[in-house]
Amino acid sequence: MSKPIYELVDELPTGGLTVMGLKSLDFLIPGQWQNLVGFDNTIRTVTGETDEGLIQQIGERAVALFNDKSQGYQRALWLYETVDSASGLLGTAALMNRIGQDTFLGFLKNITPKPEKAQSIDLSVKLVTELVAFCQINGIPGDSIGDFLAALNDYGGESLMRMAALVCFDGIIPLGPAFAERALNTISGMSPSDLESNPTFNGVKDLIPGGDSAGQLSFITQSFAQTQGWMNNFVSSKNITREGLMGNLRNFIEFTDDKADYLGALLDMNVKYYRHTGIQTLARRLIERAVAEI
Amino acid sequence: MTLVLARRAIRASATNRSIALLLCSLCSLLLVTACAPQPPSRYAEVQKETSQKGNQAVSKEAQRGGSFNQFFPKSGNGYAVVPAQEKKGFAEYKVNKGGKNLAVLSISDTVSLPTAADKYKQSSFKIAGFPAVDQGQNSTGILVNGRYQVKAQSRDPAFTRQDRIAWIQKFDLDGLSRL
Repeated sequence: MSKPIYELVDELPTGGLTVMGLKSLDFLIPGQWQNLVGFDNTIRTVTGETDEGLIQQIGERAVALFNDKSQGYQRALWLYETVDSASGLLGTAALMNRIGQDTFLGFLKNITPKPEKAQSIDLSVKLVTELVAFCQINGIPGDSIGDFLAALNDYGGESLMRMAALVCFDGIIPLGPAFAERALNTISGMSPSDLESNPTFNGVKDLIPGGDSAGQLSFITQSFAQTQGWMNNFVSSKNITREGLMGNLRNFIEFTDDKADYLGALLDMNVKYYRHTGIQTLARRLIERAVAEI
Repeated sequence: MTLVLARRAIRASATNRSIALLLCSLCSLLLVTACAPQPPSRYAEVQKETSQKGNQAVSKEAQRGGSFNQFFPKSGNGYAVVPAQEKKGFAEYKVNKGGKNLAVLSISDTVSLPTAADKYKQSSFKIAGFPAVDQGQNSTGILVNGRYQVKAQSRDPAFTRQDRIAWIQKFDLDGLSRL
């Protein structure tokens, strides 16, 4: 049994590395993401209502919907939480790998994955997790593929911030500006066993479509190829560079240029942006449905 | 000399005392905070009721959300009507203009939540012949066939109550009443 949804939203932090990391990306989507925390506060902000009796009714319906397991909201929460904690493990592995290359612990290279392969899987699994969580929360809205894409394109607020963070923290910082092409090349040339040995994939594989890991690899590769254009467009239209991102991150994490390699791993372990913004998305969608149904 | 030492001793003990006092008050503060029972959440009761095994917020009898899509207004006149959610017994679209969200439109099956239908018994006006209610400041709804709730909600002050009433009439309400 999950924690009550109102506790999850009430307990979201207003500071710390995750929130600071996300705030460092505000310049990419100015004003799109306010760190909305607190369950009642979210109800007031989403609906614009102030009557306490009405807020109580909306909140009660949202709690009931979240607690009905058949409605998919708890599975979405599980996905957001799991993909973050599993990729934190990858951060540890990537850090070990860097240490392996730089110091006498050279033998570690043999037991930890190459960062590029691991990062590529991590990025693509996180992207697919977003698609799966989207469908768990919203269903597949509309009557056609075009409708579904329109719904995805309508991303705003915390969902858009989550995608900005994916592009920046899991794409550009660890893999560079051509991250989408590099990652797609990497996963296209992979075997299912590469996927099976990746902790991020193993964390969420039960909910990824495709049947076996070969089918899942194909689903992940196709989904990545479909969204590559969106990601590239996001980077070029906002003129995002690795240097620019690192400059902003320096405002709250101290690191020197020769340690920049570790930054991706450090972010991976400490910035839980999928869980944080995922709970915000979940709360918003539940409240939107609740206020419409009561 | 003795006097100076004595004074220092007094001052030192005064400092110690104030530190001790400070510590005491901090400790009691911590104790009070730790022991004070958290007031129960205003949602504790519904949480208890709905977290039981087998709880259902959505009735098995509820219509498929997808069956509502055909009745929503279409995009046009600079407004984009974008699908947002489709779950059992529920479908929701956003009304956007110039990339800005102005309103949301929804159809829900009140078979899952009969109290939602009950409020239309107190309806004081009609839209397109169906009983209508205003709820809070931003929401207007009607009940079709005593079962399907059609709502328009403002998400921007520019989208007024008149707009909500006008948009509800853009639904295919005849079609929905035959569902």
